Formats: sequence, C-alpha cells, structure tokens
Amino acid sequence: MSTATAPFLEHLLAGQKIVAAEPAAWVNRLRAEALECAHQLALPTTRDEDWRFTDLSPLYRLAFRPAAAAARLDAAALAPFAVPEAAHRLVFVDGHFSAALSTPPAAGSAVAALPLAAALGPHGEVVHARLARIAEFREHAFRAVNTAYLHDGAFVLAPRNHGEAAPLHLLFVATQADATAQPRVLVVAEPGADLTVIEDYVSTHDGAHYTNAVTEIDVGANGRVRHVRLQRESRAAFHTATAAVRLDRDASYHAVSVAVGARISRLDHHVVHAAEGTFCSLDGLALLGGRQLADTHSFVDHAVPNTGGRQLHKTVVADGARAVFNGRVLVRPGAQGTNSAQESRNLLLSDRAQVDTKPQLEIFADDVKCSHGATVGQLEAEELFYLESRGIGGEAARNLLTYGFAAEIVGHIPVPSLVRALRETVLARTGAKE
Amino acid sequence: MSAVIQDLIDQPYKAGFVTQIDAETAPKGLNEDIIRLISAKKSEPEWLLEFRLKAFRHWLTMEEPRWPNVRYPKIDFQDIIYYAAPKPKAKLASMDEVDPELLRTFERLGVPVHEQKALAGVAVDVIFDSVSVTTTYKQKLAEVGIVFCSISEAVREHPELVRRYLGSVVPYTDNFYAALNSAVFTDGSFVYIPKGVRAPMELSTYFRINTQDSGQFERTLIVAEDDAYVSYLEGCTAPRFDTNQLHAAVVELVALDRAEIKYSTVQNWYAGDEQGRGGIYNFVTKRGLCKGRGAKISWTQVETGSAITWKYPSCVLAGDDSVGEFYSVALTNHRQQADTGTKMIHLGKNTRSRIISKGISAGESQNSYRGLVKVSPKAEGARNFSQCDSLLIGERCGAHTFPYIDVKNNSAKVEHEATTSKIGEDQLFYFASRGIDTEQAVSMIINGFVKDVFTHLPMEFAVEASKLLGLKLEGSVG
Repeated sequence: MSTATAPFLEHLLAGQKIVAAEPAAWVNRLRAEALECAHQLALPTTRDEDWRFTDLSPLYRLAFRPAAAAARLDAAALAPFAVPEAAHRLVFVDGHFSAALSTPPAAGSAVAALPLAAALGPHGEVVHARLARIAEFREHAFRAVNTAYLHDGAFVLAPRNHGEAAPLHLLFVATQADATAQPRVLVVAEPGADLTVIEDYVSTHDGAHYTNAVTEIDVGANGRVRHVRLQRESRAAFHTATAAVRLDRDASYHAVSVAVGARISRLDHHVVHAAEGTFCSLDGLALLGGRQLADTHSFVDHAVPNTGGRQLHKTVVADGARAVFNGRVLVRPGAQGTNSAQESRNLLLSDRAQVDTKPQLEIFADDVKCSHGATVGQLEAEELFYLESRGIGGEAARNLLTYGFAAEIVGHIPVPSLVRALRETVLARTGAKE
Repeated sequence: MSAVIQDLIDQPYKAGFVTQIDAETAPKGLNEDIIRLISAKKSEPEWLLEFRLKAFRHWLTMEEPRWPNVRYPKIDFQDIIYYAAPKPKAKLASMDEVDPELLRTFERLGVPVHEQKALAGVAVDVIFDSVSVTTTYKQKLAEVGIVFCSISEAVREHPELVRRYLGSVVPYTDNFYAALNSAVFTDGSFVYIPKGVRAPMELSTYFRINTQDSGQFERTLIVAEDDAYVSYLEGCTAPRFDTNQLHAAVVELVALDRAEIKYSTVQNWYAGDEQGRGGIYNFVTKRGLCKGRGAKISWTQVETGSAITWKYPSCVLAGDDSVGEFYSVALTNHRQQADTGTKMIHLGKNTRSRIISKGISAGESQNSYRGLVKVSPKAEGARNFSQCDSLLIGERCGAHTFPYIDVKNNSAKVEHEATTSKIGEDQLFYFASRGIDTEQAVSMIINGFVKDVFTHLPMEFAVEASKLLGLKLEGSVG
C-alpha cells in the first residue's frame, strides 16, 4: 500500500533540503524529527479507516515541486480577496511570506502578527512552548511533512486581557501551477485575550497545486478566539489541512470553516478541552459542484469535566461532487457535565452527488448530555409547494431554499464583508437571484 | 443510587450450570481433516463438503477484524473443539421420550417447552450442543407445507433448497467469522415457507452451549416464498464456564415478493464474572435479503449476555418497495463489551428502513452502536430513519455510536438521531415523591426507555425480555 504513495512522498520531501537552517537549534531539531517521521509514515489511502471515502490517488499520481521563493505578485491581483474590516494582514505567496503585500501591525502594537521566522527572536519562548505541540505530527504523515518544511508560517499573539476588535487576515495565495506550499499558522491568545483570525486560502490561477497546511491555536484562560477559515482555492487544487486548538480554563473558540474550492480538500479540525469551563462551536459549510470532494474530520476531545460544544456542519452537493463528514466527539472518563450537540445536514442537488457522513460519539462518563443528528436528502417537496403557492415556482424556489440552507452558516461569520462576499458565492453557485 | 446499581451489577448468572450428558467430541483444532470429519459425521453430500473446504481455504487467507470497539485476548483457533454431539439416539415421537435430564435443564432455565403448549403452541426446535435433539409440532407445520427442521436434516431432505440459498446472502467470503462458520458449522435451523402461506404459529429455537470449550457454529437459513409470512424466535442461555467460548453463527434470511420475515432474538449467554473472567464471545453474522418486491424483514434483538458481542443484523433491500427494520436493546454490565448495530443497504426503488437502537451500559462495560445506512445510486426514493439512544448507569461505563451514512442518490431521505443520557436524580426524586422506591423507579424508567423496541417483540418474548432486564438490573440502582 505504501508502494503506491512512496514516490509522491519522496518527491514531496525532496525539496526539504532547500529549507535554510534556522538560528534556533530546536527548530532545526524539530524539522529533522518531522522529516524522519514523514519518511517512516505511509501516506493514507482508502484502506485507512480515516480516509475510507477520500481517495487521494489523483494527488499521488501528480508530481508537484515545492514552490520556489515568492513569485512577484501585483497587489491589484489580491484586490478581490480584500477584507476591509481587517486592519492588518499577512500575505503568503506559495507559502513564502511577502513583506511587500503584507500590512502587519507596527512593532510595539498590542497584537503581534509576524512571520514565524521573525517571531523566533522576540517571542521565542512562546513559540517553543506551543509549536508542533498542539498539532501532533508523529502519527500523521501530512502534518509531519508540513513540520519538516517549517520556515515561514504566520505567528499571531494577542496579549493578556487585550480585546482586539478588528479581525486579522492571513492570506495564503497560490500563484504557481503544479507547486506545493506548506503554510503554517500559530495563534496564541494569552489569558483574557479576545481575537478574530481569518485564515484564507486562494488561488490566482485555475490550475492544479497542492496546499498542505497546519494551524495551531492556543487559547489561554478566559480567552476567546474566533476563527474563520476559508478555502476558496482553484477547483483543480488539492488541499490537506489540520486546524488544532487547545482551550485553557473558561476559554472559548468559535470557528466557521467554509470550503468552496479545490478538487479534493480535507480538513482535520481538532479541539481539546484541556481545562474546565471551556466552550467551542464549530460551524462548517462545503459548497461543492463538478467533481469536487470536500472532507471534514472534526474531533472534539472533552478531556475534563464541565465543558460544552456545539457543531453544525452543512454540505450542498451538486453535479458529481462528494461530501464527507466525520464528526468525532470523545467524552473521556471522568469528564462529567459535558454538554455536546452535533448536527450534520446534507443537501444533495443532483442524482450523481454523494454524501458520506458519520457522526461519532464515544462516551466514557455518565453525567453528560450528548446528542447528534444527521440528515441527507434533497429539498423538501412541501417547502417547494409552499413557495409555489406563493407564486415562486420551479428554479427560483429551489434556488431560494438552497440559498437559505447554505446562508445559515455564512451568517455565523463575524466579519460583515466576508458574509456579503460569501453570500454572493453561494448565490452564484445555486443560481439564485435576489 | 449506587447501592442499587451495585446490586444489579452483582446479580449472579442464573443459568450457570452444566448438564451431564455424554458428548461425542472431535479433537481440538481445525484442519481439512476435521472438516471432513464433521461432514462425514453428518453424512453430507459432496457439494456441501466442497463448500466447507472452499470456505476453510478462504478463511486461512483472512485476518481477524480489528476494527470493532472491543478488546479481548487473541483467540487460539486451534484450541477449540469444532464438533460435539450428544450421543445419537433414535428420533423421538413425543416430549415424553426426551431425556428427562435435558428437560430438567430447560425447566431450570425457564425455557418454556411445556409452558409453550399452554401459551401459544410454539413449535420449538431444540438445539442442544449443535445437534437437534427433538422437534415438536412439526406435524402441524407440515400440514401447511412449512419445513422447519435442523439444517442437517434439510440437507438430507431438501438438498435443492439448501444448495440454492446457502451462502446466497452471506457468502463464505463475507468476513472472517462467516468464513469460519461456513467451514465448520455443525447445526442450526432451516425454515421454508411456501408461497402464500402464513406460519400458523411462531417458530422458536433455543440454543445452548454445553460442552466446555466447544465453539458453536450455528447456521440458520430461512426462506419465505412469495406472500409468505413467518415469525421466528431465537433465545439463548449458556452455562457458567471460566474459559471463553467462541460462538460464530451465521443467519441468512431470504424474502421473496411481498414475503415477510420477523426474526426475534433474546440473548442471555454467560457474560463472565464481575472481573470479566469467562463469558461467551459472540461473533455473529446475520443478514436478510429482501429479494422480491415489497418484501419485509424485521430484526428485533434483546442482547443482555455474552462477554463480547459483535453482531450486525442487516437487511439488503434489493427488491423495489422492500422494507427493513431493526429494533435493538443491548444491555451491558460488569466488563461486558458490545459492538452491535445494523446495516441497511438500499438497492431497490422506494425502499424503506427503520432503525431503533437502545443501549444501556452499567458497571465497567462498553456499549457501541455501529450502523451503516447505504443508499445506492439506483435506490430512487429510499427512506431511512435511525434513532439510537444510550443510557449510562454509573461513571465507569462507556457508550459509543458509530453511524455511517453513505448516500449516492439525491431522492433519498436519511435521518439519524442519537442521544446519550443517564437516569437523572430529579427523575428519581420525582418517583420518590410519589412513594415509588428507587429500584422500582429505575425499572420503570428503563422499561420506558426500551418500550419502543419491546413492543415489536412477540408477546411471549416480551414478557421474558422484561423479566430478563429486571433480573439483570435487579437491585442495582440505589
């Protein structure tokens, strides 16, 4: 089984030599260890339970090269992706930080946002204590590959008790066809800090490329992080990603992740409730057409008592597309008082569309309230009839209902301009006209 | 509350005793010679021996499944006796001729061989350690053309039927334990309902594992022709042993046009002691094929025994408009582990399925629901509703759900709901304020929890199942 994936992995790792050594010895050691792991681990195939429905063989057949240093990119090319509310943004072109396109906060500002390499000096201890410790790479080939390439990620730090109103925009742009990028993000909210981060993956071309991202978010006691994750890459792209979150006492984490791009995309979203009183909400939307496949594997780990979580994952699947969802909720022994609700709602728009959903509860404590629900279906005949009786018939009624289904998740995004932009995307996809 | 739970948990196994009957046993281990021995003992035709050998050779290439959410030491398949039969005796004409010791065993177990006559005239195909000892009421069934006999007898007397359907629903390549069963199955039941016949009574069989260290490999085959109806009851108890016993049965159901098969199980095999020593490993493959239009297969199970249960009674809904149902109560206690659920495979148009699963975990047990609802691209208008609820008693047990939903047709409608909860202090308080003590309150709450399933059990079984749950949970919550 590894024989089929081995050439791809070797090709993928061949470029690792070009990553320059860091002054901090521990980073070099981390990379070396990750490289070692990546060589040991086999890339997943559909024979692995976690990848049963997501066949990466189209990716494995391609020979991508690591993206060379940042290509020159005109600022105007990024205009469609602008988020006016975001006072500051960091731009990564093919995985490399672009100082020219970025508008980081000035040195001395409350919130720090800078490339990881630059953060190792002033924030070395903060980074060292967290990097690659929230997203465990030793058992996971893609995370190991990303960690082996560690050089230029984004680092965001919100200091103690600082509430930042403006969202911070992390924009990852793919400009080169047939290239790979290994984006890395570390977000640290110190105790009591409040922060909104937009993690945004886009392409400037329609060709194939491969993004393998790892994001780590550490929320300190009483802190709050709102995380918007947009994957709107080229529909020929491949995207594998991990977002790993750790919550300290009474912290909260609210995520909205939207996948509209990529031919095959996969997000592993892990949240660990590491202390009592924490809460997380995970909202997800995949809007798929053509032959796209989007896979979301979430894992919410209620490791201690008195934590809460809710999750709503929706997919709209048209043409011959396929949506995969696996929502695992683990209530560990002794984690009494856990309150968890999860829903997976799937709308099939064509008779070739497919959905594989698996809400999964593993409960080892008795004083808990856990529920999950899953539905798969097409638009309700009764709802269509109701609209028709009001003079909204056929196509228009279907589009309206589809739009309403998808727009619920978009509406949860705490950034108005993104809500508007994504609503346009939804409308364009469903064909609905206002 | 914990004292009552404790009592419930400490309930000794009431069916734990060994009947002293001489068994003719094969040497331990499994090879082609053993299979030939089994086949020869049962005077089987050549094609069946071929079937067994093919299954065995395929089994050798397979690995034990590792995906179930259960933990147990590796099974030594060469340390099992694959054939044990009570000494052959002349066929018995009436109940009076049955070995009185055997009858006493059934009496102690509460198996209502006599009671049944009074209750509803249920015909019992008594399986005692792999070989049918006696079959009652055969005459009455024969009058309407129903065949209800042991599978060995069916091989002899209805070879064309057995050959046509054996392995047609669960092929020997299906899974590790189905392959093993196909190679070594010793006995089981065969039911054939001809066209347009409704079985005039409920058919029932009781299984008992008796010889120490002997695995039981039952094979049951039920075929219902067009417009036929049958309700089949299966109940199990086993005596107390310290070594683990493997049980790998295969049940195949075939329903043709508009036929209906209702299959009910109450399973109360020895579950091991408080420390998890001993107990039955119950690795069963049960599957029904709705082959014809408008066919219906309904599984109802009450699983309370076995150290480990690994069982997914499934329905393949091939015929248009066919219906599959699964109603289950799984209760685990002490160190029991259950990984059970169902598969509903929608292939035909307008097929419908319904899953109601209720899991109760107590002690340090682990109870998993694992289900698959699959709608194939051609299953226009398929409909599924699933509900799986878990009740946790005590803080050291676990309840898990793994529902897989694969939909490849957009006209399908699939719904799944699951909840997990415990018996609330406020509920118990409410009962207490009405003068109902905790034990009674718990019993009432649990009976309410499982009601949706119990209403689908045949009446006699429902009474027995209620008693069983009461017995298992007696004095356990305080």
